[in-house]
Amino acid sequence: MVEHLIEALTYPPIQRAAIACVLCGASCSLLSVFVVLMKMPLIGVSMSHAAFADAVLGMLLDFNPFLSGFILCLLMAGVLGPLSDRTDMAPENLLSIMFSLLMGIAFLGMGILTRTKAGALNLMWGSLLSLSCSDIVVLTVITLVLLLFLFLFFKEIRSVLFNRRLAAASGVPARLIYYALLFLTGAVVSSNLATVGGLLIFALLMQPGATALQLTYNLKYFFLISAAAGIGACVSGLFVSYIFDLPSGASVVLMATIIFAAAYVFSPKRRLIKLKKRGVVHESASNRNI
Amino acid sequence: MNDKIIELQGLTVRKAKGLLLDGISFSVFRSEFVGVIGPNGAGKTTLLNVIAGMEKFEGMLRLFGKREDWRRSRATRLCIGYVPQLFPIDPAFPILAAEAVMTGAIGRLGLFRSPGRKEKDQAMRLMEMMRVVHLAGRPLGQLSGGERQKVSLARAILQEPDILLLDEPTANLDIAVQKEVLNLICEIHKRESLTILFVTHDFNMIPAAMRRAVLLNHGKTFFDGDINAALSGKTLSGLFEYPLETFERNGRRFVSCG
Repeated sequence: MVEHLIEALTYPPIQRAAIACVLCGASCSLLSVFVVLMKMPLIGVSMSHAAFADAVLGMLLDFNPFLSGFILCLLMAGVLGPLSDRTDMAPENLLSIMFSLLMGIAFLGMGILTRTKAGALNLMWGSLLSLSCSDIVVLTVITLVLLLFLFLFFKEIRSVLFNRRLAAASGVPARLIYYALLFLTGAVVSSNLATVGGLLIFALLMQPGATALQLTYNLKYFFLISAAAGIGACVSGLFVSYIFDLPSGASVVLMATIIFAAAYVFSPKRRLIKLKKRGVVHESASNRNI
Repeated sequence: MNDKIIELQGLTVRKAKGLLLDGISFSVFRSEFVGVIGPNGAGKTTLLNVIAGMEKFEGMLRLFGKREDWRRSRATRLCIGYVPQLFPIDPAFPILAAEAVMTGAIGRLGLFRSPGRKEKDQAMRLMEMMRVVHLAGRPLGQLSGGERQKVSLARAILQEPDILLLDEPTANLDIAVQKEVLNLICEIHKRESLTILFVTHDFNMIPAAMRRAVLLNHGKTFFDGDINAALSGKTLSGLFEYPLETFERNGRRFVSCG
């Protein structure tokens, strides 16, 4: 089986798929830390549907669907931040309304579209084996930008994740960090549509972060565990799909769920909280090492 | 002492549900400890939010003698520490008590500068002052309400502000912890000479250092003056539109329903 996999890795499309899996797993799982800790699960779905709707519009206007999806996804990120700050509505409610609107636009476009809809539908399901070198370059650049953002603004990010309003009140550029995060979410989601697709990307924007939440109280480790879980799910999902001839996107999502389930069952944080409740462990027991 | 640090004139906050603040006017002098007291929905938290730069408003607000709108410069924000009401935190949230205190230093450090030994020592000293240094390595979400409020106070002071805004810092705490937090607030006021605005609706938990009170009702100033005059039965009955009596025991004033 190992020889079979090594042989498969000599083919350029499989090589590109494997690289894309690592990049997709890393970028989505790093963002999933924000999605989970800021409790914004709908952002991934809304962004991916924005890209889908925009791709359909792009096809209607005879424009590259992937490029139009990418540009308008970034535009949506640019609109979402100021809009959520200017209305009395909670960001999650605003996202739900935008999600419904975009679904409406997408299906309206699909209805009007007379020619083949495969280009738009590819954005929903993804197509790992048909990735081009330029797709990989775009993914690499966006993952590097995300990593640079995390590295340069880690202390501000911690402050915003803890409490955005308090961070802003204490002189942290919280709005800038929040808008940058929305912008990066738009970029990561739209650049990954070709790999796992708009529907399944939701899993990668939730599960790695939810996995890390079971395992650590340290935010640095949180990002690392999330990235490891995301990359692990993508790479193992790709190999499982290759070995058992299964759809790659579905395999990735199932592997991410298995990793989350294992983290949940063996979570040291949950065990410690339970023991404290039962009084088996004293309140002063340190969690520094978790 | 005669240095006006906060000056409000005709301050109004409008929302879809109506006027939250309706032409509030008063001034606060440097190192003053002012109570903002009123029933629920009087506009107390909105007033603090306006001063902290988290709420749009109409009217005039001067901070440190300079006219401000709701968008604040970083320098002005750094001068205002804010302790909100106790807010819920997921027990699994990845932040330790010491890290939560350190977030107070992030704004003043600015971008691309990490907290150094000096900030870490300052944070530990403040945690010691707040009697929570033994909890430094504990996840914030697993601390009790009182412990979290003490961490919140340490965070706000680490910011090195000139003005400290306290929004019902003793709400939802048990009575012994309320008293401990109040004593700590008085200690901070004395030690740091901070200007403090203390929002509360609990007259039985008024810090000893509070000398002046601004009473708010329906978004308007109902009374502004000496704390003893503010806590008279007549004033409070008018404020709450309900008969209230006050009495003194061991030098402290208490309020009861008449």
